[in-house]
Amino acid sequence: MGGFIDTLQFVLAPQVVNGLSIGVAVILMALGLTIIFGLLDVINMAHGEFYALGAYLGVSLAAAGVNFWLMLLLVPLIMAPIGYLFERTLIQRVFHHKDRHILTLLLTFGLAIIMEDLFKVFYGPQALTAATPIEGASEIAGMFFPNYRLFLMAIGTAIIVVVWLVVYRTSLGAMVRAAAFDKNMASSLGVPVSHVYAGTFAFGVALAALSGVLLAPVYSVFPTMGKDFILMAFSVVIVGGLGSIKGAVIAGLVLTQIQAIASLYISPSWTDPLVFAIMVAVLMVRPQGLFGRLGHA
Amino acid sequence: MLDNVAPIGRHAKPAPVLGAVARRERIARNAVRYFAFLFIALALVFAVVAAALKDVFFFRLATEALIYGGFAMGVDLLLGYAGLLSLGHALFFGLGAYVSGLVLKEWTASFWLALGTVLVAATVVGSIAGIIAIRARGVYFALITFGLAEVASKVVFNTRQLGGSDGIIGIPVVQANFLLFTVDSSHAGSFFLLVLVLIMAMYFALEALLQTPAGRLVVAIKANEHRVPFLGFSAQRYKLLAFILAANVTAMSGALYPMLRGFVSPELMFFQASGNAVITVILGGVGTLIGPLYGSVILSALKSIVGSYTEHHLIVIGVLFMISVIFFPKGLIGYLRPRLEAWLSRKERP
Repeated sequence: MGGFIDTLQFVLAPQVVNGLSIGVAVILMALGLTIIFGLLDVINMAHGEFYALGAYLGVSLAAAGVNFWLMLLLVPLIMAPIGYLFERTLIQRVFHHKDRHILTLLLTFGLAIIMEDLFKVFYGPQALTAATPIEGASEIAGMFFPNYRLFLMAIGTAIIVVVWLVVYRTSLGAMVRAAAFDKNMASSLGVPVSHVYAGTFAFGVALAALSGVLLAPVYSVFPTMGKDFILMAFSVVIVGGLGSIKGAVIAGLVLTQIQAIASLYISPSWTDPLVFAIMVAVLMVRPQGLFGRLGHA
Repeated sequence: MLDNVAPIGRHAKPAPVLGAVARRERIARNAVRYFAFLFIALALVFAVVAAALKDVFFFRLATEALIYGGFAMGVDLLLGYAGLLSLGHALFFGLGAYVSGLVLKEWTASFWLALGTVLVAATVVGSIAGIIAIRARGVYFALITFGLAEVASKVVFNTRQLGGSDGIIGIPVVQANFLLFTVDSSHAGSFFLLVLVLIMAMYFALEALLQTPAGRLVVAIKANEHRVPFLGFSAQRYKLLAFILAANVTAMSGALYPMLRGFVSPELMFFQASGNAVITVILGGVGTLIGPLYGSVILSALKSIVGSYTEHHLIVIGVLFMISVIFFPKGLIGYLRPRLEAWLSRKERP
């Protein structure tokens, strides 16, 4: 009995908490992806690169002597106009084409290739480290957790709640949901649909960049950092249902817990195939994912 | 009442409109075929010049371009004809390369046995992956193929028996026996010609297959998937057929890779390889089959030219790709074809 509780406390619990902190990070990424798809039908292949750009901006701003807390505000403010411009100048060009699903996917894929190489040009291929703004660790129920991870989980949860409130409880969110449900009707009712589109894309990009700043102290900053992470975020979004905020949160928590707990029993290098296998299985049985799309109830 | 109804069935006189359509289709087919002949001619001119200069490097580079062109041809069959975007076709390229590499190294250095084994493996894996993937459509199909390839590449990467992250090295030189003569894969010039013959044979076989009733149905799926069942055909069955065919074309190209390079690495299965094939198809021309071969040659040339100035050639390729997606979504051959068709039909009229 004692052995069982020890296992629970010292093996399982830290793994669950660890999984939770990764889960929050993945959900932050997945939220941007799923909102952009829910409204614009765009699979943003460059989402991981926007996340990396956020982290690199953080590194540059830190080198310029900008305080970490100010950075959390500055980086999304810098990135949002970039996202807005990208949507207006490039995505809108192919948006009314018959094959827009495929064309927008290809367009963002092209952008991802360019951005990844640009990171190498400006910052070099090596991994950079970002200073941890909160030092030390706290003891909770006999286990030690780094303070920054605890902070990450708290602020991540706060951001998720804020996004939820904005989408479901404000008139701005109502416009987004209306445009997602029926853009022509929303337009007739006075919703500036084209600005809502660009604004939503900008919001998703800013969210990705913010995650980049937040996660840079935990993981290091390198050109392909977004690619490794985006795979997980894609799986989460697909399992949860493309375009569903609730789905992204629930699937994000479930999948990262599966990954964390499975790594106790199988080699960690096999947990990625496991998660992708779950994603493929969900796509086979329920291609639309577990939950409905944005704007559709 | 019935007089107003147009006659149908075998008693119907062929409407003149139909003749015009048939004529247009024939011209379109001829136009693409001219591009194929031009490709072969250019390849032969290159071979003569390179052989005269006793070159090896450019022969190897061109052979690789052909192999990647064959890879992209499989992607084009799905995207341009069945309307399915595969983001995980590297799965089949890697499959072909690994199976061929294993056969050559562990079993027997026989060219034909390697190709035959790959054909069987690609059909089996293609059927399984196809049954899973064709359940989804649109972006979901793209994502499911992407997921399948990720699972497969991670499994290969983690399997020590397959060389893990190192891949398979030390694959022996093969002698392709054609009864009257043999082709040695270590001889750059003759191996280039062998690959050219195989890739073009696949091209002409696919072109012929697309003219058969089954091939026409694959095209019909792209035009309107929901209408195909009303004509009495199962859209799923023909999608699966196209998927297996595309898997085989790509795997056969992959099978040639270890013969050229002497090694196989798990990078061949990564997303980058799949993405590269999609770029090749878009640049060369979607739905032309010959376009991806031109695209692959352009891309290889671009990589080695830009690559000699800077290692950041992906920026150039990425910009070119984005411009192509926005302004020339039909690609090089897709852009040139209507011009050639117009010229051909003008020439035919008088």
